[in-house]
Amino acid sequence: MSHDGQADRKTESGEIARLLSYAVLLAVSVGLFWEASTIPTSRFEVLGAGAFPMLVHGVLILLLLSAIIGSLRQLPRHAYARFASDFGDWAKARRLVFVLFLCLGLYLSALPIVGYPAATFVFLAVLQLWFAPKTKTAAIIVLFLAIVFSLGLNWLFAEVFNVFLPRGS
Amino acid sequence: MEMFLQGAAEVLSAPTLLYMLIGSIAGIIAAAIPGFTVTMAIVLTLPLTFAMEPLQGISVMLSVYVGGYTGGLISAALLGIPGTPSAVATTFDAFPMSRNGEPGRALSIGVWASFFGTIISTLVLIVAAPPLAIFAVRLGPWEYFSLIVFALSIVASLVGNSLQRGLIAALIGLAMSTVGTDPILGRPRFDFGLEVLAAGLPFLVVLIGIFAISQLASEVEDARAIQKGEKLVQGEIDFKTWQVMREVVMRPVNLIRSSIVGVLIGALPGAGGSIANLVAYDQAKRASKTPDEFGKGIADGVVASESGNSATAGGGLIPLIALGIPGSAVDAILMASLMVHGISVGPRLIMDNADLVYGMFVAMAVASCMMLVVCIVSMRAFLRVAEVPKWAMVPVVLVCCVVGAFALNNRVTDLYLLGAVGLLGYALRALDYPLAPLVLGVILGPIAETNLRRALMTDADWTLFLTRPVSLLFLIAGLASVAWAVRSHLKGRTQRQAQKEKTP
Repeated sequence: MSHDGQADRKTESGEIARLLSYAVLLAVSVGLFWEASTIPTSRFEVLGAGAFPMLVHGVLILLLLSAIIGSLRQLPRHAYARFASDFGDWAKARRLVFVLFLCLGLYLSALPIVGYPAATFVFLAVLQLWFAPKTKTAAIIVLFLAIVFSLGLNWLFAEVFNVFLPRGS
Repeated sequence: MEMFLQGAAEVLSAPTLLYMLIGSIAGIIAAAIPGFTVTMAIVLTLPLTFAMEPLQGISVMLSVYVGGYTGGLISAALLGIPGTPSAVATTFDAFPMSRNGEPGRALSIGVWASFFGTIISTLVLIVAAPPLAIFAVRLGPWEYFSLIVFALSIVASLVGNSLQRGLIAALIGLAMSTVGTDPILGRPRFDFGLEVLAAGLPFLVVLIGIFAISQLASEVEDARAIQKGEKLVQGEIDFKTWQVMREVVMRPVNLIRSSIVGVLIGALPGAGGSIANLVAYDQAKRASKTPDEFGKGIADGVVASESGNSATAGGGLIPLIALGIPGSAVDAILMASLMVHGISVGPRLIMDNADLVYGMFVAMAVASCMMLVVCIVSMRAFLRVAEVPKWAMVPVVLVCCVVGAFALNNRVTDLYLLGAVGLLGYALRALDYPLAPLVLGVILGPIAETNLRRALMTDADWTLFLTRPVSLLFLIAGLASVAWAVRSHLKGRTQRQAQKEKTP
């Protein structure tokens, strides 16, 4: 496939992904518009607590509808068939991003349970070892950074700023 | 004059200068860490000033304040993550400049622009404090709402490639700002019974999630490069102090205009640095002969943002000194510090404690000089950050973001929010949505809603937005701003299409 052809294919797959995002946002916005309309108004003011959100979601819904129509008109039919494989390639190339978000999710969930020092030490050690070149020097740096930013930062906040990071349950 | 000399003598004494130097360093370091705002640094400094003389204490806090506004620049330029909300617009050009191999120049331009911005705002503060303060407090909710409409119109010039996606992003930001209790009656909205949403989405958590987490995630997209030990920024680690100073001074119109914007917005209670940098950037882009170069690493963009946000430090002091009204959280803490020392803050402050007020003016100027010296001396060390490989830097900065988000309110639920917003930010970035309009929406949403509802509670007549002259002026400016942006966007699209057709 020519370079231009590949670029067009990438653009089309990107536009399909955006079309999906418009659809998801539209569904959320319609739901929140309806939710805002159920908020009771107050007799103390002309606008109630739901008026501003209704205004925002109303405009957002109109914009999303126009974006969806624009995308549908722009995309050729054959583009949809290739989307799944293009998305697979995109995700495969960004595997480290998924590793990062997975580790971040586990870290944030573990913080209130095991406490800041232990959770941070493990998070830093695992993520850096995953990313780093596999050398002895890198391993020593990883260990050093993990200790400084887990135990060191915890001490600094507790002793100097009187701010206590999560201590675990 | 005697009072001025008395105040200056107290500020220029050796112990005060030493404390100010420490304050300046602390402010720069604190604000360089994503999530640690100038406000937090000042809050942590307040108890340390109780034992000091009033002017000494407030001088130290002013040095933290001025240092903090500059510190936000460091992570904005080197990591693409605004250290504070006031450095959002700095990322637009300082970060591309760093990525283009000029991290030293990016930082240096920012530091000099900050310095001149603070000095200009101090001069304005000395000359125009009372009349500006009186003007600022005469504005009602109608004028504030119209001002926010004008500020929101800036979105149109921050949209990047697609006007439609930019507007969608801004509306997502406004929608996010409506989650939690409503700002007038405290009625819960859109929390769905979840504790994590009950308190709303704090805009600093959104800022860290949207900019920092998504930026850090995009740094590790290229697996092979990161595992090879690729550095964060490749390029010249040279601060080029004097050469860059000349470069900044050679932009007097941009420098003065952005500083005046910073002072005026800083003088309006509730606005502050988080808006000033964006408005100053927007004005610089409109006035530029090469608006298309903005966002690609142009010096004018860095000068506008940094002088604009630093000038709000002086602007914020205007209503505080002239009327005893704090314009921002930081000014409220400065006011509290004066009150702790038994000084009543109000219109009589300048008459009863002239030496203190003149001392504050001198302290502002000294603090900006100190910030400059600290930056020139230590920037080489800060620039070493750029040499750290990504595999070490990304996880460490992630941890700093988590600590910053937690320390804001000491709430674990904010951390879950951070993760979710970070994921949303990465998805939006990957889908080519501009992120700055979203953050602007989150910041301005509550101010817009509060003033709209307050205006209509005061008087149900909608036409007041059009019949009050200042309000009308802001609305016309907003309309003109959108029209200008749409025109240049359409022009750019036509040019791109013509170019595409020309190429075989």
